[in-house]
Amino acid sequence: MRPNRFHLLLLFSVFVVATCGLIYELVAGTLASYLLGDSVTQFSTIIGVYLFSMGIGSWFSKYFDKNLLSWFIQIEILVGLIGGTSSTLLFFLFEQTESFRLVLYMMVMLTGIFVGLEIPLLMRILENRFEFKELVSKVFTFDYIGALLASVIFPLLLIPHLGIIRTSYFFGLLNIGVALVVLIQFSKEINWFKRLQFQAFVSLLLLLAGFVYADRIMSFTESMAYPDKIIYAKTTHYQRIIITKNQRELRLFLNGNLQFSSADEYRYHEALVHPGLAALPYAKNVLVLGGGDGLAVREILKYPNINRITLVDLDKEMTSMFTQNSMLANLNKHSFSNPKVKVINADAFTWAKSHTAQFDFIVVDFPDPSNFSIGKLYSNRFYQEIEKLLSPEGIVVIQSTSPYVAPKSFWCIDKTLQSVGFNTVPYHVYVPSFGEWGYVMGMKKHDYQLPANFPAGLKYVNRESLKQMIYFPADMAKVPTEVNKLNNQVLVHYFEDEWAKYL
Amino acid sequence: MSGQNTYNQSANLLSRLNRKAFLLRAGIGLTAAIAGGYLFNRKRSAKTAHIKGSIIGANAKIGHLLRDKLSIPEPSTTEEIEYLIIGGGISGLAAARELKRQGISSFKLIELDNHTGGNSSKGKNEISAYPWGAHYLPIPDPSDSSIISFLTEIGCITGFSPEGLPIYNEYHLCFDPEERLYIRGQWQEGLIPNLGLSLEERTEIERFFKLMEYYKTAKGIDGKYAFAIPLKDSSSDPTFINLDKISFITFLEKEKFRSKHLLWYLNYACKDDFGSTLNETSAWAGIHYFASRKGKAANAKNGDLLTWPEGNAWLAEQLRSQVADHISVNSVAFNVSVNNDSVLTSVYNTVDHKSKIIKARKVLLATPQFVNQRLLHEVNSDRSTSVYEQFSYAPWMIANITIHQLPVSKGIGLCWDNVMFESDSVGYVNACHQHVNQNENKKILTYYLPLTGKEPKIQRLVAFTRSYNDWVDIVCKDLENSHPGITEFIETVDIWIWGHGMVRPNPGFIWGEAKRMASQPINDKVFFAHTDLSGISIFEEAFHQGIAAAKSMTSTETHNGNS
Repeated sequence: MRPNRFHLLLLFSVFVVATCGLIYELVAGTLASYLLGDSVTQFSTIIGVYLFSMGIGSWFSKYFDKNLLSWFIQIEILVGLIGGTSSTLLFFLFEQTESFRLVLYMMVMLTGIFVGLEIPLLMRILENRFEFKELVSKVFTFDYIGALLASVIFPLLLIPHLGIIRTSYFFGLLNIGVALVVLIQFSKEINWFKRLQFQAFVSLLLLLAGFVYADRIMSFTESMAYPDKIIYAKTTHYQRIIITKNQRELRLFLNGNLQFSSADEYRYHEALVHPGLAALPYAKNVLVLGGGDGLAVREILKYPNINRITLVDLDKEMTSMFTQNSMLANLNKHSFSNPKVKVINADAFTWAKSHTAQFDFIVVDFPDPSNFSIGKLYSNRFYQEIEKLLSPEGIVVIQSTSPYVAPKSFWCIDKTLQSVGFNTVPYHVYVPSFGEWGYVMGMKKHDYQLPANFPAGLKYVNRESLKQMIYFPADMAKVPTEVNKLNNQVLVHYFEDEWAKYL
Repeated sequence: MSGQNTYNQSANLLSRLNRKAFLLRAGIGLTAAIAGGYLFNRKRSAKTAHIKGSIIGANAKIGHLLRDKLSIPEPSTTEEIEYLIIGGGISGLAAARELKRQGISSFKLIELDNHTGGNSSKGKNEISAYPWGAHYLPIPDPSDSSIISFLTEIGCITGFSPEGLPIYNEYHLCFDPEERLYIRGQWQEGLIPNLGLSLEERTEIERFFKLMEYYKTAKGIDGKYAFAIPLKDSSSDPTFINLDKISFITFLEKEKFRSKHLLWYLNYACKDDFGSTLNETSAWAGIHYFASRKGKAANAKNGDLLTWPEGNAWLAEQLRSQVADHISVNSVAFNVSVNNDSVLTSVYNTVDHKSKIIKARKVLLATPQFVNQRLLHEVNSDRSTSVYEQFSYAPWMIANITIHQLPVSKGIGLCWDNVMFESDSVGYVNACHQHVNQNENKKILTYYLPLTGKEPKIQRLVAFTRSYNDWVDIVCKDLENSHPGITEFIETVDIWIWGHGMVRPNPGFIWGEAKRMASQPINDKVFFAHTDLSGISIFEEAFHQGIAAAKSMTSTETHNGNS
């Protein structure tokens, strides 16, 4: 091999090695911020630990005396393997391990030590082939160019296009690639050729597989979507339940959509229940459709005149969780254990269709109409089933997405209720974690009168705030829409269009 | 696929054919099928071995009874009755309903299978009911009073708007989203190809539908619509009925329609409604598909559909329940003879293995012509073999597929009707689409494959030669194109072969002599109703056939065969 080509190859290795090294550091920092939150702390400590570990690696490099080239290749393979799989391992271990931080910093240290070994080893391989000042100048030039490249492409290209998991596999593959090229070019100078070749190929296959199947790995680990620490994750027959926690609040997500934050859910649930129920002093029998978290039931139980609450929720796991888990049951004040409350796990549409008993107050608290399946629960047919279940003097209230973000969706629900004969009273409230949120009350005949009395201890709803709630300023004013029917599902189309602008 | 037909086995395949030529063609077809079976069958074990199911219909044994008349005992008893209806498909059931509406009680309907409905049949498992044949009814023309009154009495129409337009039960109107097409690697909304078409092709497609709009409102010199449902109400103006003499493809060539995507779509439409290809379908029938539907409603638009998880078996059940006391299932008619004052029908019961004679004043044959040909071989009439030979029937394969998950694919999500561009099949229908409950992952997909390509007789033979494994391979291979990885999610595939799935409106048939001859009552004693006497196999035709035949049977006027 001609010396020129030899030098170029090794210097190119420096460049790749430097890029990869910085990428692993960025991957670890990003992941830690995603998973643990508080990105300043995470990045700062990760960078510190990483640099320190590189120092340890550099210090260790003096103990390598013979077979430098072989050792270099060996270390390249190890760096590729550990760095390449790091994001997957970290994601996976996050849900499995108690002391995630320990694992995280161990990984960072290990990668750091190996990366720290690389440059000193390379410099020593090259030491007899360059003048010292040339050597230092060249190696560090390439090292820093690699670092610049990594820090620019990581946020601009890699994270948006490859995603964090593919990025680490990709750079793992580059490390192995360097190992293989050096191995083949210098095959005569390598002592453990066979062994290294085998290792390199096995690692190559492993990383390739990871790169190809990254999407599946990702679906395991959607944790990135959640800014706070995940304290509970479960896939039930119907949905993916995630609960996250930080110092201030607990958040529940169903299929990635925020259902409530413990910090302000009282606003949402007070607004859901009291404008209707406080206007029905003689109400006895209440039906809740959806609302498997028990928070609406908690509000309903504030009325001593109510002697029976029937809650129909599809997902048994959800209602059991909010009955048994003490942290969650504290949130709903153990409402599901109250003898007045009966929980039925059934499909709401099918249940409503097949029942005839009448209720004085009905709460309809379903997820937003983001797909055709849920869209059916906002159709005129469904509201006709509700009409059948509502006593002549009763009130039904529907959670109706945001009248600010999705005015057509909101007013479509209003119009659909009217189309089956309800008089409606739309209203809205500001819930900090959701934004401006809307509800529609429907009633068969009487005009709605603002209630005179509310249960004691409410934090948001009273006669004064309710006056504001039923007032719609111009930016949320009524817009003309069609009626949502099973055979047109216009609401799902409105909802998709309107929310798409916000996502 | 919509329409009706009770008998499904090939009748006397080898007779009256150019034997040598037929054997040669059949030989080629069968060799291909068997060789295909050997080559591909072996591979099934690997990817599709987990799939359970079987060929569960149609029941070939009963059909063959009629053909071979083996082991049928001599009739020992005689039953007397005013009217007898043979065949429990939609035509026969509609006729029975009509008799009942006229206040007649002395009548009976016999059906060879263990259930009525014909090819509006259904199956059911723990996930859903599903169709084994016809699966929808487009909202009808509000002036079609007999269908409108039927739909009203069964709760499918819940009322009428002030303008007099029917209000449909919205649980029966096909839910949104309705249709999608897999083309260029993704699913587009609607079945008419749109994605990635050139401006030229789009313009041509627009021009085609404009032309169809013209035919939709066109009337003949007799003042009738050129294309109507029921078909017999169409104008007989030669300007229009001459279109029956040429094939649809000839018509399209003459009108300079050349867009590959338009022609694919029209061929799909012919396969879907008639079981025949563009060159096997008459231009009149092809246009009828697009120009005859004049449905209107207060809460639906023209072209909207009524459908149920079990398809038109739901409608068949509504008809059946109105006349249930008059129905005998498992009863095969194997001979009809006409006396001076009565008609004698020999009937074999496939459960107690006894035969009897039913002596009726008049008999209505709501059966296809290849069955009538056998039943009437002792009866003198003008019908010759050449009349029967004009009737051609498309064989179909239907698969009901249980899946526990549908792989994610590009484009819009699962619809009611899902069609794949350039697939041999006409796609699949999600049988769970009309469920109101929240989506469960398990679903039943009803997959429809009209067996076109070779002449129907050969296709039929090939179809009955194929093994269950062959069919599973065919289905999976087709679905894998649009749903890579779906095979592993399939739990069961059940197969139904309709040997005579539906009558095919070949050029010259609908307005031809054979159909007219076969419709003529015999001596005011034997009457006929079947979609093959319309020439297109849809619910509306069967329904009107049955009512018209029942009316003419009970009419006090004497018939002399020229009605």
